[in-house]
Amino acid sequence: MNNLELSTRRSGNFSGLTIIAISALTLVVASTATEAAEGSPLEGRWSGKIQIPGHELFLIVDLAHTANWSGSATLPGLNVKGAALNDINVQGADISFAVQAMTGPSVESPKIKARLTDRKLVGDFLQGGNTAHFVLEKTGPPQVEEPPHSTPVAKEFEGEWNGGYELMGYPRKVAIKLQNHAPQPASAEWVIVGKKVNNLPVDRITQQGNFITIESSAFGVSYEGRLENGEIHGTVLQGPIEVALVLRRPK
Amino acid sequence: MKLPFLLLVALCGVALNADAQAMFRGNPAHTGVYSGPAPRQFHEVKWKFPTGNRIVASPVIEGRIIYFGGDDGYVYAVDSETGRQIWKTKTRGPVSATPALANQTLYVGSYDGNFYALNAENGELKWKFATEGERRFEAKGLNGWQPKNQTVADPFDIFLSSPVVFDGAVYFGSGDGNVYRLDANTGALNWRFQTGDVVHASPAFADNTIFVGSWDSYFYAIDAKNGKQKWRFHGGEDALIHNQVGFQSSPAIMDGVVYTGCRDAQLHALDAATGEEKWKFDNQLSWVVTSPAVLDGKVYFATSDSALFHVVEAATGKSLVKEDGRAYMFSSPAVVNDTVFIGILNGSLMARDAGTGKLLWEFQTGASKENKGWILTAERRFNIPLLFFDNWREGPLVAQDRTLGIGSVFSSPLVANGTIYFGSTDGFLYAID
Repeated sequence: MNNLELSTRRSGNFSGLTIIAISALTLVVASTATEAAEGSPLEGRWSGKIQIPGHELFLIVDLAHTANWSGSATLPGLNVKGAALNDINVQGADISFAVQAMTGPSVESPKIKARLTDRKLVGDFLQGGNTAHFVLEKTGPPQVEEPPHSTPVAKEFEGEWNGGYELMGYPRKVAIKLQNHAPQPASAEWVIVGKKVNNLPVDRITQQGNFITIESSAFGVSYEGRLENGEIHGTVLQGPIEVALVLRRPK
Repeated sequence: MKLPFLLLVALCGVALNADAQAMFRGNPAHTGVYSGPAPRQFHEVKWKFPTGNRIVASPVIEGRIIYFGGDDGYVYAVDSETGRQIWKTKTRGPVSATPALANQTLYVGSYDGNFYALNAENGELKWKFATEGERRFEAKGLNGWQPKNQTVADPFDIFLSSPVVFDGAVYFGSGDGNVYRLDANTGALNWRFQTGDVVHASPAFADNTIFVGSWDSYFYAIDAKNGKQKWRFHGGEDALIHNQVGFQSSPAIMDGVVYTGCRDAQLHALDAATGEEKWKFDNQLSWVVTSPAVLDGKVYFATSDSALFHVVEAATGKSLVKEDGRAYMFSSPAVVNDTVFIGILNGSLMARDAGTGKLLWEFQTGASKENKGWILTAERRFNIPLLFFDNWREGPLVAQDRTLGIGSVFSSPLVANGTIYFGSTDGFLYAID
């Protein structure tokens, strides 16, 4: 509706018949596209409420199928927006997947098992060993959010960096080694030595101008820094904690 | 005859008589040891007494009367056999401290900043003393909560200081940073000792010395007669997020050694005469809020985040028992013969064998069983991703408040005549046997 209004305004010198013809054509194209997007009745944006005892939780799931299934989930009450869906498994009208969010000590990602029933997605939400029922209704085409990807890094960032910080009274030494594989994404080795030696698996490195971000979701740790005069001045983010960290080249 | 009582505690470290239970941790040295039978099996809820708000403090008993304070602002006297109310007296703030009873007088502090002396028979006011006012420990960027320049009052600073009464004097700490000694008969100020921050730990008394820690990260030994500092011990510091700092745990004194937990994640054993550290037990960043219990050469305590129940050797700190309690423990263990009782913030009370640490039985409040909003996982651990997902503004405070909805047991169990008494954040005082 809004798109049609926009095109009508832009085509101010078209005749009324032309507008009707364009409108009709648009509707046909849109209809064909919708049928293609709805190749599987499971595709689409699904919205509804999870019936957690004493607490309803709003859930929005976007499911799309091209070569493979992909999807994302949003839980507005829990600070979860566009979280990737993992392990999507479709068997006829049945679907199951995990939501890559809401992990914590002794708590795995939430899992969803559902069945398409009477044009509704009916199933169970499993989290922390608890199970709650939900019914989702299709509210439109899918709007799957792509997770952010790693980028290559500039030559100035490549190589080894060392630094240190203190957390809760304990000193930590940091060593980061960045490797470029342009045009492929960069990779990194990240070691934090405190009471123990922790090798952090790095799942994302992004560079934007002088800024670099290195993330280890498995450890819930990330580093954001800015290259200035041959040093990276930044912050380690670990859970709720922010600590300043300057990385320098090893001597 | 007060000296023989102390000698009994100090030299023998054995069971205390029922009269000695009328204060926090059962005696002035705060050993957390109780006499009489202890149920090795759960039988029933004998009664539960409703109040108007949470109960975080602990009950005491004298004769057959239970006394306790509630966060609804009342001090209660309840018949221990029937659970019937005998009297209640209103203060103007939550009573998050455990009362002490001596000479038919009940002593307790309230969040209204006053310290009360009540007639134990009828709850009538004998006197009250105005401190400089209560407050919680607070810091900018506390626990890493955002915005980091905002000063936040610590929602885990749950308890008020519980008084210890000895030889006509009553001693307690206050949010105003002072430790007070008052004349127990009149409420007149004898002395006050200024620390650098909130004192919500409860002072212990032994050898004419008051032992207590402050949120200023120091643990103090104060001359009970004149209020002068004998020594002080420096606990951990955490300038970044103020998480690993401060003494919230109350000490236990046994055989010339002070045992105290600390938010610096250590259980410290200090020489009572000098303050020299004899040993410390590292709990890997997990707070020790519980007050340790000490009996027969063993120290019993528990931790917060790591949710572990520990028994260590009193002489060396060597680990003897380590058991999973599944959720934070702020309640202090009560040792009765061969059984240990402790409350858990997941709405449970557990009984463990004192020798092996093995779980004997567990009681769960109704609110904990209902688990509304999935505050707990199916294993009854706190469901952290569903609770603490918002680190900004009041988010963590709301989350912490929600956790209390499952009937958390902050209260330290009182065991008397085979019955266990404790309060819960569901607003009930429970009697179970």
